[in-house]
Amino acid sequence: MFINYECENHVYNVSVERRKNHYFITYDNAEYKVKAEETKPGHLKIKLGDRIIKSVITKGKEDKFVFVDGDVFKVKNVELTGAGKTRKKKEEGTLDSPISGKVVNVKVKKGDKVKKGDALMVIEAMKMEYIIRAPYGGKVKKVNFKEKDQIEIEQNTVELTKEEEA
Amino acid sequence: MFEKVLIANRGEIAVRIIKACQEMGIKTVAVYSDVDKKAPHVQLADESINLGDPTPIESYLNIPKIIKSAQDVGADAIHPGYGFLAENPDFAQACKSKGIKFIGPSPDVISLMGDKIAAKKTMEQAGVPVIPGYHGAKQDNASLVNEGKKIGFPLLVKAAAGGGGKGMRIVHSEDVLEESIESAKRESKSSFGNDTVFLEKYIDRPRHIEFQILADEHGNTIHLFERECSVQRRHQKIIEETPSPVMTPELREKMGNAAVKASKAAGYYNAGTVEFMVDGDLNFYFMEMNTRLQVEHPITEMTTGIDLAKWQLKIASGMELTLKQEDLIQRGHAIECRIYAEDPSNGFLPSIGTLERVESPTGPNVRNDTGIYAGMEVTPYYDPMLSKLVVSSENRAESINKMIWALSRYVVLGVTTNIPFLQKVLSHKEFKAGNITTHFIDNYFKDWTIAKEGLPIAAIMSLAVYDSMHSRTQETVRYKESDPHSPWKHVGRWRMGVEE
Repeated sequence: MFINYECENHVYNVSVERRKNHYFITYDNAEYKVKAEETKPGHLKIKLGDRIIKSVITKGKEDKFVFVDGDVFKVKNVELTGAGKTRKKKEEGTLDSPISGKVVNVKVKKGDKVKKGDALMVIEAMKMEYIIRAPYGGKVKKVNFKEKDQIEIEQNTVELTKEEEA
Repeated sequence: MFEKVLIANRGEIAVRIIKACQEMGIKTVAVYSDVDKKAPHVQLADESINLGDPTPIESYLNIPKIIKSAQDVGADAIHPGYGFLAENPDFAQACKSKGIKFIGPSPDVISLMGDKIAAKKTMEQAGVPVIPGYHGAKQDNASLVNEGKKIGFPLLVKAAAGGGGKGMRIVHSEDVLEESIESAKRESKSSFGNDTVFLEKYIDRPRHIEFQILADEHGNTIHLFERECSVQRRHQKIIEETPSPVMTPELREKMGNAAVKASKAAGYYNAGTVEFMVDGDLNFYFMEMNTRLQVEHPITEMTTGIDLAKWQLKIASGMELTLKQEDLIQRGHAIECRIYAEDPSNGFLPSIGTLERVESPTGPNVRNDTGIYAGMEVTPYYDPMLSKLVVSSENRAESINKMIWALSRYVVLGVTTNIPFLQKVLSHKEFKAGNITTHFIDNYFKDWTIAKEGLPIAAIMSLAVYDSMHSRTQETVRYKESDPHSPWKHVGRWRMGVEE
């Protein structure tokens, strides 16, 4: 799942995947593996290593409110396609590798059609995995790395032709 | 005792009074405006009457409507709460003339205390210290200098029409008095078109300390110790505590006696509060008397064990005070924080909207007086106070810690509140040291605003987990193998060339 949160005019690109008992959350070039439960409606208990995060989330009409460590944040889930083109360009995510590491999985090949949010490549570094996802739907023009390749930060992983342009 | 009491108020204080009545077996009648139809005070009361239009003047301030409501339901008394009609002598008089008991002092006393100059004169005559000053008509320099010398230094020259510090001078010695008066007059003339000035003793390091009074209708008056209310923002109290960090047993006795004397001089009965200004050398001066139950009354209840709202009802029904001054004791320390729907990053303007979720902290000696509920609209019609959080503990330091803890667990989602601001104030080292004056907020938090550091990772994770849990689409499994029988499906994560 690929989600964009907007808070105080800043957009946060986050991805989350649930695998068995864990959630894998990717944000700002880091992946976090956490255990989580909803102890009562809206109350979350999240275990990240030794740290326990307790938070309360409520959905309003348009916004979500998060209460964590005594602070409150007002957040909106935003779609970055369609309206708001100018922001879209800036925030739509990148196909460049966020880290230096090893390619552990290539999910697409030239000519594949992908949807927004589809995993394209998995890169591993420091025992954490980073998933490169399609920031928009389109057709794979070129895959620049194969499995077990070493990849450096900001190197382009996959070239994607945008759907509307294809 | 009364059969049925109408509560002419809304919000937490209406709830507070209804609960006191219920404990005593008195039937209650709530009044409400259109926007308060679902409010807790309406839900809680035995009967409720719609006052219509939410504009205060059409509803909670509408004397004929409220009196008629009381008559319609056969209420034998009206409790005004605080604010709205609580200190309106016409309302107290209207109740009286219709044979409905007004739970508070007599209309005459409300009038007297509402007139600040008359109140001061009454106190002066009764021997209660007032801030020395000159508010007379003689405005020639010689007369003013003469009056100034009588008051002593430092003194304040204030424009009668003044405000915002314009036309105001602090004078530290006699030799500059005349020139200060002249310059204050010039500034006042150009700013306000009026050069009348007042002279008043300048209070250095002022504190606001008030005394709670209970007086029955048979001439018995007691005080229930002090409340320190110096922490104010734009003259609005935000944090109150008792005992005051500067109080000594001797000063408490002196001020308490003065408060009792002040009440007696005014012919006061029911619950009331005598407010004093206390200077850096612990000299105290009468400021005013509030002829009602105060917002901050719970801290007195927490430290004395006495229920002020119930005593108001008992006194109004003619009972004699059974409490004796010498039997009263203060135990431990209590703090109250006023939780407002206001936005500290937007000049503390009221924050309106829907309260999506409200969860108040609970624990030993934590009290939350509130009239809000999840789903409630915070409207611009009324005071934006959502609740009062009160804690008590063995001593001041422990109370502060308990309050910081309680605030950090107070969940109010949907409108912005002053909770982060309160936490910062309570954590300030000067507050912790008890060095508070009425200038405290201006001195340390003048342009304070919430630091915007973006979403912390804990919030991002919470959101992501929440959205994942509540998402309707099935998550796709990573490493999906096309062949369901592939042995690779069961090996889990693995790496090549790594020795295990």
